Amino acid sequence: MLMKDSVEELPPAGLFDHLQAFPGDGLPMPDRPLIAPLAPMLVLREEYENGSQFFVKQIDWLMNQGWIGVRRARGDGDCFYRALAFAYVENILNSSDSLLAASSALSVLEATVPQLENVGFQRLVFEDFYDCLAGLINQIINPVNNRLLTIDLLLEAFNNPEVSNSIVVFLRLLTSAEIKTNPDYAAFLLHPETGEQMDPEGFCNNFVEAVGKEADHVQMNALATALKVNVNVAYLDGHDQHGQVSFVPFQNAPFTVIEPVNLLYRPGHYDVLDRRDADPLPPLLV
Amino acid sequence: MAVSTRRLQKELADIKKEGTPVGIELLSADDFSTWYLTVEVLGETVYQGEKFALKFRFDGQYPISAPAVQFVVDGSYHAPIHPHVYSNGHICASILGSEWSPVLSVVAVCVTIQSMLASCKVCPSVHPICPSCACQCLV
Repeated sequence: MLMKDSVEELPPAGLFDHLQAFPGDGLPMPDRPLIAPLAPMLVLREEYENGSQFFVKQIDWLMNQGWIGVRRARGDGDCFYRALAFAYVENILNSSDSLLAASSALSVLEATVPQLENVGFQRLVFEDFYDCLAGLINQIINPVNNRLLTIDLLLEAFNNPEVSNSIVVFLRLLTSAEIKTNPDYAAFLLHPETGEQMDPEGFCNNFVEAVGKEADHVQMNALATALKVNVNVAYLDGHDQHGQVSFVPFQNAPFTVIEPVNLLYRPGHYDVLDRRDADPLPPLLV
Repeated sequence: MAVSTRRLQKELADIKKEGTPVGIELLSADDFSTWYLTVEVLGETVYQGEKFALKFRFDGQYPISAPAVQFVVDGSYHAPIHPHVYSNGHICASILGSEWSPVLSVVAVCVTIQSMLASCKVCPSVHPICPSCACQCLV
């Protein structure tokens, strides 16, 4: 993957070494899964036991509220998009009416094509990325190689860098298109470091479309709106002395048949929050 | 098929069908790992009458990761004298590093480099290291 066959090579972008470490994650960044299997929240708690007690209190609070599982995303600056994409497809897969959920998700996606073209993205530029996401959702209702999508196949797809990163890029382009289309975002397009007002083009070029750039409130709102999915973000930030965790809702899809996506925020990072503590076992062979 | 191959096939088809912008020509694209294009700078610049060649190298992660792009320095071509270009052909351009975006294409990179050169009206007598990106491209 790394093409650095001599010191003269320019480094390909997308290989970032500014990545943050989290207590106890243990593995060096490139060895961590892009999206991990569901794990008990207790595992996260153990990592904080010798650290901030405010975090421990908040984790206890979450567990008391029934949030007993966490699905980790690699901390590579794409975690918000990747975690959201995974949880979004998984919620369609787990829907009680997955045919309806998948069809409506696919029609939302189809409707984004003209939106992407209207803001100036060439079809050539986004169609492969689009196909990666639409293909997975389609596999929930139409078998590919005689197989419908399962949680195992979904994990496999999201840990294949090509598929996984393509989906991240598609969501970035979609976020960008939404920000450029809707003038309501203009007031919130601030440079993350300087706080200066930016125009949509400059903001999207630098902080939305570029791989590895973390999402902030604007991007989250734009993506939730464009995908027509409700998102709740639990802020695990050690700020509340009593251990309460605030959930910030991004509710822009009143009529959706897809369950909301729940994400867990820790400073600089997003994972998926879950009410289960392990992925379901594959069904026994019939 | 790898995403990079699929994307490059489309870019190549697009170049063959639509042509390239003025001043940019496809020199060779024999496979999906290395392409060569030439760039001429239009108008009155310090590069008038010169033609430069760019070498693009793609890994399997293109267009998610940037292509490696440099000016060809050999018997036929040399690197333009420019504050962001090293004499060995290395280019310091943010779009080839931290500001790469998968919406860019080979042609878009050529156009960007062409306009980067076009904006250089005065030939620098020395060859200073680009201060903004020295950390990325120390050679």
